[in-house]
Amino acid sequence: MLEAIGLTKLYGSFKALDSLDLSIEPGQVFCLLGANGAGKTTTINLFLNFIEASSGEARVHGLQVAENPLETKKHLAYIPEQVMLYRHLTGLENLEYFTALARHEEYSQDQLRRFLNEAGISADAIDRRVSTYSKGMRQKVGIAIAVAKRAKALLLDEPTSGLDPKASSEFSELLKSMSGEGVAVLMATHDLFRAKETGTHVGFMKQGRLVARLTTAEIGHADLEGLYLEHMHG
Amino acid sequence: MVVRIARKELLEMTRDGRFRVAGGVVALLLLIALGLGWHRHSNVTAAHEIAIAQEREIWESQGEKSPHSAAHYGVYAFKPTGRLAFFDPGTEAYTGVTVWLEAHKQNQFLYRPALDGNTLQRFGELTAAAVLQLLLPLLIILLAFSAFAGERESGTLRQVLSLGVRRSDLAVGKALGVVGALALLLVPAVMLGAAALTAARADSPSGGLVRTLFLAGAYLLYLGAFVGVTLAVSVRARSARFALVALLGFWVFVCLAAPRAATDLAKALYPTPSVQEFAAALAEEKETGIGGVDYDDFLEARKQELLAEYGVDDVEALPINYAGWRFQVSEEYGNQFFDRHYARLWDQFEAQDGFRQKIGFAAPLLAVRSLSMSLAGSDFAHFRRFAEQAEQYRRRLVAFLNDDMRDHAGAGFSYRRDQGLWSKAPAFAYDAPDPVWAVSGQSTALAALVLWLVLSAVLARSAAARLEVS
Repeated sequence: MLEAIGLTKLYGSFKALDSLDLSIEPGQVFCLLGANGAGKTTTINLFLNFIEASSGEARVHGLQVAENPLETKKHLAYIPEQVMLYRHLTGLENLEYFTALARHEEYSQDQLRRFLNEAGISADAIDRRVSTYSKGMRQKVGIAIAVAKRAKALLLDEPTSGLDPKASSEFSELLKSMSGEGVAVLMATHDLFRAKETGTHVGFMKQGRLVARLTTAEIGHADLEGLYLEHMHG
Repeated sequence: MVVRIARKELLEMTRDGRFRVAGGVVALLLLIALGLGWHRHSNVTAAHEIAIAQEREIWESQGEKSPHSAAHYGVYAFKPTGRLAFFDPGTEAYTGVTVWLEAHKQNQFLYRPALDGNTLQRFGELTAAAVLQLLLPLLIILLAFSAFAGERESGTLRQVLSLGVRRSDLAVGKALGVVGALALLLVPAVMLGAAALTAARADSPSGGLVRTLFLAGAYLLYLGAFVGVTLAVSVRARSARFALVALLGFWVFVCLAAPRAATDLAKALYPTPSVQEFAAALAEEKETGIGGVDYDDFLEARKQELLAEYGVDDVEALPINYAGWRFQVSEEYGNQFFDRHYARLWDQFEAQDGFRQKIGFAAPLLAVRSLSMSLAGSDFAHFRRFAEQAEQYRRRLVAFLNDDMRDHAGAGFSYRRDQGLWSKAPAFAYDAPDPVWAVSGQSTALAALVLWLVLSAVLARSAAARLEVS
C-alpha cells in the first residue's frame, strides 16, 4: 500500500533521507524510530508530496506520489504531532469541513457524530468550539477525520507525543482497530512502548538511513530498547 | 468544494470577534455616510428647486427697463445635482453648482461649500464613496491577510492539503469567503442606498439606473483587486504578521500616499492659476486689448462693415438701433476672450484629471475615484459640460435682449420693455449627459481597474499554485 523505492531527499549536500526502501502492506503498522532529524518526518512529507524527492520515488496504492499528488492523497490520511483545527468551529463542524474537503459529502450529521463518538469525543464536547479542546481531544478529532476519510493508508507523525497515558492508550486501540480493518500505517514515533504495543514492524532510522528493521513479534519490549540504543549509539 | 471552503471561511469570520467589530464599524460608518449624503443632497436639491422655481419669476417680474439693463440684471443657473451625488459628491464642493449669468461677463461659479469649510474637512468628507474606496480595502485586508499565512502558521494548511484539496480551489474558496463577508455588510447598505436613490428628488443626469449599475461594477472591480492582492500576499508571506504589515503598507501607498502625490504631481505638470491670478490675467488682457486687437479697432472694423451693409455713411442714418448693435459687438468681442481663457483653464483641469486616471495603473484608488465621480455626475467633466451650456445660454439670452433693442428701439434712448419680452426670453434647460458620455472619458481609469483585477487574480492564482505547506 505504501512503498518507497530508493527514496532520497537532499538539502544541499545534507542527506535528510538516504535511499529508503520500504513496503507496508494492508494491515501492517510500521513504526519508524529514531532521533530528531533522522528523517522520519521527511519520509512522511515525501509520501504527502509536501516536498519533492531528490531521487527515488514514493508510491501509494501503486501510484507514484509526485505524478499523482491529488489521486494518491485520496488513499491517505495524515495525523500530525499536533492536530490543528479551526478554533472558531465546533468539533463537529471541523470534522464536517475536513471530510467535505476529502470529498466525502455522503455523511449525515448523525454519522459524523458517531465518528467523533467512536474516536472518544464525548457527546457534549462535540458541539463545543475546539478552542476549548485538550490536545488529546484534538488528536481524537484527527482520528475521526482519518476514519471518516476511509483511507487505505495512515501517515502518523508522533501522534501520541504529549498525550497522557490514558489518551495514548485509547489512541493505540483505535489504531489497532484500523489496522485490523486492513489499513496500512506508517507511524513516526519516539515511544518505544507504543511501537511495541501497536506496531507490526519497527525500523530504526539514523542520519537519513533505515539502519534496521524488525517485526515486533520477534522481540520483547526490553529487547527493543536495547536494540534501539545499540543502533543509535553504536 | 469551493462553496464549502467559502462557507467555512465565512463562518469563521462571523464568529471571530475582531472581524465582527471591524465589519460592524465599517458598516456603521457606511450607513452614517449614506445618511449624511442623503441629508446634504436633499438640502441642496430642495434649495435648488425653490431657487429654480423663483428664478424665472424674479426674471419675468423685474419690471420695466431697457433690454440691456435686463441683461445686466442677469439670471442664475443651477447645476442639477444627480441622484448619485449623495453617494459621491465628487468635486462639487470645490467647483460649485451655481453661476450668475449676466451681460459682458462669464462669471466663476458660486456656492462652493469648500470655501466655508474648516480645516478638518481637508482630510476629506465622510461620504459613502470614501468608505467604499478607503475603508473597505482595509477591511478586506483585515479579513483575508491570514487566509493562507495564518493557516500555514497554525498547521491547518498541512492537514487541508493532506486531504488532496486542489490549491486553486482553496484560493477561490477563500476569495469567495471574503466576498461573502463583504456582501453581508454591503447588502443592507446597498438596499438602503437603492431605496434612497428611488426616493431621491431632482432629475439625475439621465440614465440613473445604468449609472448605478456601472458604479457597482467599478467598485466590484476595485474591491476584487484588493481581495486578489491580499490573498496573493497571504500565500507568499512568511508569516501572518508579515502579510499584515506588507498589506497595510500597500494600503497606505494606494489610499493615502498615491492620491496626494498624484494631485501634487498633476498640479506641477499642468499648473492652473489661482482664482485671483485668473481674474488678474483676464483684467490684464482686457486692458491691453484682446488677442492684441484693441476694442476700439474691433468696433471700428465691424462698424465699417455695418455701414457698408446698409449703404450709409453714418450710424445716425442706420435703420437699426446702433447702441443695441454695439452692445452685441462688445459681447462678441469679449466672448472669444472668455472662450480662450476658460478653455485654457479647463483644459488644464481636464489634463490633471487625465493624469490622475493614468496614476490609477499604479494605485487603483485613483481609477475608481475618477470613475465613481464621473458616474455620479459630480466630476469636473460634468461640471465643465454644465458650465459650457450655461455660458452658451448666457450668450443666447444676452443676444436675444441686445437684438431686441437693435431691431425695435429705433434711435430712442429711452427704450423700455416689460414682462412681455422677459417671458419670451429663452429659459435655461440643461441637457444632462447620458452614462455612455460619462464613461467615455474614463477609458483609462476603466482599463486600470480591469488590469488590476486581472493581474491580482493571476497573481493570487499563480501564488496559490506554488503554495508551500511550511
